[in-house]
Amino acid sequence: MRSTYLIGFLGIVACAAPASAQSTGTVNINGSVADRCLFTTPSATISVGELAQPGSGTNAGRLDASKLDGQTRNLVGWCNGTAATMSVEALPLLNIDFTAAAPTGFDRRVDYSAAAVANAATATDTSVGAAGGGSAVSVGMFTGNVAVTLSSSSSPTSGLLVAGTYQGQVIVTLTPNVSFGQTSQ
Amino acid sequence: MTSLKATAAALALLVALPGVANAQSTSDDATVDVSGTVAGLCILGDPSRTSVPLGQLINTSGPQVGKLTAISAQTINLPNSFCNFAGTNLRVSAQALLSSDTNAVQTGFARAVNFTSTVSNWATQNATVTTAAAAGGATPSAQGTGGTQPAPKIADLTLTLNGFTVPSNLLLVAGTYSGSVTITLGPAATP
Repeated sequence: MRSTYLIGFLGIVACAAPASAQSTGTVNINGSVADRCLFTTPSATISVGELAQPGSGTNAGRLDASKLDGQTRNLVGWCNGTAATMSVEALPLLNIDFTAAAPTGFDRRVDYSAAAVANAATATDTSVGAAGGGSAVSVGMFTGNVAVTLSSSSSPTSGLLVAGTYQGQVIVTLTPNVSFGQTSQ
Repeated sequence: MTSLKATAAALALLVALPGVANAQSTSDDATVDVSGTVAGLCILGDPSRTSVPLGQLINTSGPQVGKLTAISAQTINLPNSFCNFAGTNLRVSAQALLSSDTNAVQTGFARAVNFTSTVSNWATQNATVTTAAAAGGATPSAQGTGGTQPAPKIADLTLTLNGFTVPSNLLLVAGTYSGSVTITLGPAATP
């Protein structure tokens, strides 16, 4: 019987302790991931060799559009936010060896259209006319290929192409924008 | 302590603000380089005539009977001839008209008709040559070179044949006479 009472007393002490001495501290943990886009394969090259038509017919020496049209290369990249956009700027191929104005009947420039496809969105631009890229399209969150394809190549007067080396460039820009409402305040 | 806390908070804000700005927009560009070449090319347009029949070459009556008759200038056009690079010229090579009868000519006779060939409308200096075959037909070939065209050019070239003569205005032996003119458009020889 005595042993029984002693055990009962100790039990009461143990239960009473939390009610009189408990204290809680909190460590909040947070972080953020900024909207970001990155090309992991940021460059590619389309080298088509001879641009002019061969032979001696009436089109000899003029642009062979089949050399550029349909050429495609894959860049690889990603964007981690839903508000990301993509834009393309097509810069014409220019003769880097002959930089003077082309004589009448000749061209030293080759224009074309470029399309970039990522996450089922297509951004386009043409090198014809004023400089500047095409309109941005929403590309959202994606990772994978950005396929760049050329089309509609032409020269300004459909003239004879001045001999030399021609160089141009397609610039693809991925812009993350802001998808989670963060401000600079 | 209060002042220190306020200063620490301000510093924290200053540090945090650039971080927020950077997090907003990190664009990335990629490029596809596009290149090609255009080889140097010269093309002569198709000649308007590939043969020039002169018909009867001698006078058949009058004081010049048996001798070369007056032959009017002959022109041949080569439209849309071009070179797509600078530093080109024309070369013209002519063969005098010779009789198909190759026997040695008798004294007082000739079997050759010389002429001048001029190709114009390429460079400042036309390409021209005059044949100087002997009466017996020796040395019928001659070559001439025009000036250098300093830029790519497309033009309608004109070949003019004129100045037909016979050595010493001798009598021409009977027969069929034939000659030729070859035009070459290409890079000027390096000096």
